[in-house]
Amino acid sequence: MGDRSGVGLVECAILEALESLGARPGRHRRSATVLDAVQERIGLAPGYAYEVLLDLARPWQMPVLLVDGQGNFGTRGNDPAANYRYTEAGLSRAGELVLAAERGDLPPVPVGLINGNVYREGLRPPFRPLAVIEALRELIRRPRVTGKDLTSIVGPPCFLNGCIVTGDFAAMAAGRPTILRLQARVTVSDDHHHVVIEDFPPNANPDEVMTTLAGRASMRAWAAEHPGLYGRTHLPLAELRDESSSRQGDLLVCVPSPGATVEQLREQLMDVYGVYTTVRVDLPRPLPTMLRNWVRAHPAEGLLTGLVTLEEAVRNQPDRN
Amino acid sequence: MPVLAAGVLVAEGVSFLLVGSAALWLHGEPIPVGDADVVVEPAEANLHRLADALAGFALRPQEVPRVLALPWLNVLSVVTSYGMVDCLLERGRLDWQTLCQSAVRIPVADVDVPVAAQADAWALRRRFKG
Repeated sequence: MGDRSGVGLVECAILEALESLGARPGRHRRSATVLDAVQERIGLAPGYAYEVLLDLARPWQMPVLLVDGQGNFGTRGNDPAANYRYTEAGLSRAGELVLAAERGDLPPVPVGLINGNVYREGLRPPFRPLAVIEALRELIRRPRVTGKDLTSIVGPPCFLNGCIVTGDFAAMAAGRPTILRLQARVTVSDDHHHVVIEDFPPNANPDEVMTTLAGRASMRAWAAEHPGLYGRTHLPLAELRDESSSRQGDLLVCVPSPGATVEQLREQLMDVYGVYTTVRVDLPRPLPTMLRNWVRAHPAEGLLTGLVTLEEAVRNQPDRN
Repeated sequence: MPVLAAGVLVAEGVSFLLVGSAALWLHGEPIPVGDADVVVEPAEANLHRLADALAGFALRPQEVPRVLALPWLNVLSVVTSYGMVDCLLERGRLDWQTLCQSAVRIPVADVDVPVAAQADAWALRRRFKG
């Protein structure tokens, strides 16, 4: 892991490869060329490195994007990214900052602390970038600020796309293993005609959810034999529409069967795995300690300047804040 | 919700024993239920029913292995619309008869789910989770 950014080694190797090819913001290079350069540097085969490169550019995976992707980088549903021969990549502004920090040209930037690693089945959740930056600023200004205050500034983990996160945040911040529940937004339409599901959790695939909802709405052979279980598991769905668009994001519309109300349908939809998911998190140390360690590890390095630069890069990211 | 997955497996005719956190929860233990762990009877016909049932409610049916592969797998984890179901296939091959001796049936909705005895469920949990 890069000591001055907290970004993983493979991620750093990809950023260095991009830089060596002159792939700066607005100047993309073919992903295949980038992956060849990564293989030369660390010996990682293109198929593996491409998965990481895709993550670094996908807005639904991490709060601070390190790569600016061009071409088909896939969707959250069943559509995969195009082969690396057909996509291009360049460093994002934040990616440039990470490299400059690692070289010592800039003060350290806490990108790893913000992005976490649950997007690749790690245990560290992502947090709101501006909140982490603010907490570190507060710590630099007032070294005796309490852990409780720091935790409250950072707030709960920030899984992208606006899904609702619940769980024992105090236990998580204290560094204890915790299971968080990520819930899509499930709302009844204003005219009480249908239920809308949107803001899916990052580890849910809306296409799979649509298929599974249709399966749960179909008749089961054992329905007559076990009416109680059927009532608990069958979804009273008359119609299911995918109204996803680039403007609205992933959006499913569910119309209840005759005899069922939208409220009943909503309650049942909330309990379908995929509409909600769970994620196990376990910070290596209590959150305030992680923040304090970050500041202590880089004394007198103009940390505030680094934070200002990172904040600017985060605010200028597309589709953010 | 993972407990409902066990109910659906019973309704689909699969022979298994519920163990793990879901079993302990059904025994009345105040324990969070993360998934449904099931020890599966190793008979070939039962493995066919298991594969069919899982393909029917898995989020990714294409990832459910072919039935021919099941006798060689130790654990099969499937994400379903009721949550994660972990099928402990090796445990079934080794301990099916022993675990059945003290198993009980506990109702879930209107289905009687076969559940390992509380002591067996705790013993398995300690063995695998420490």
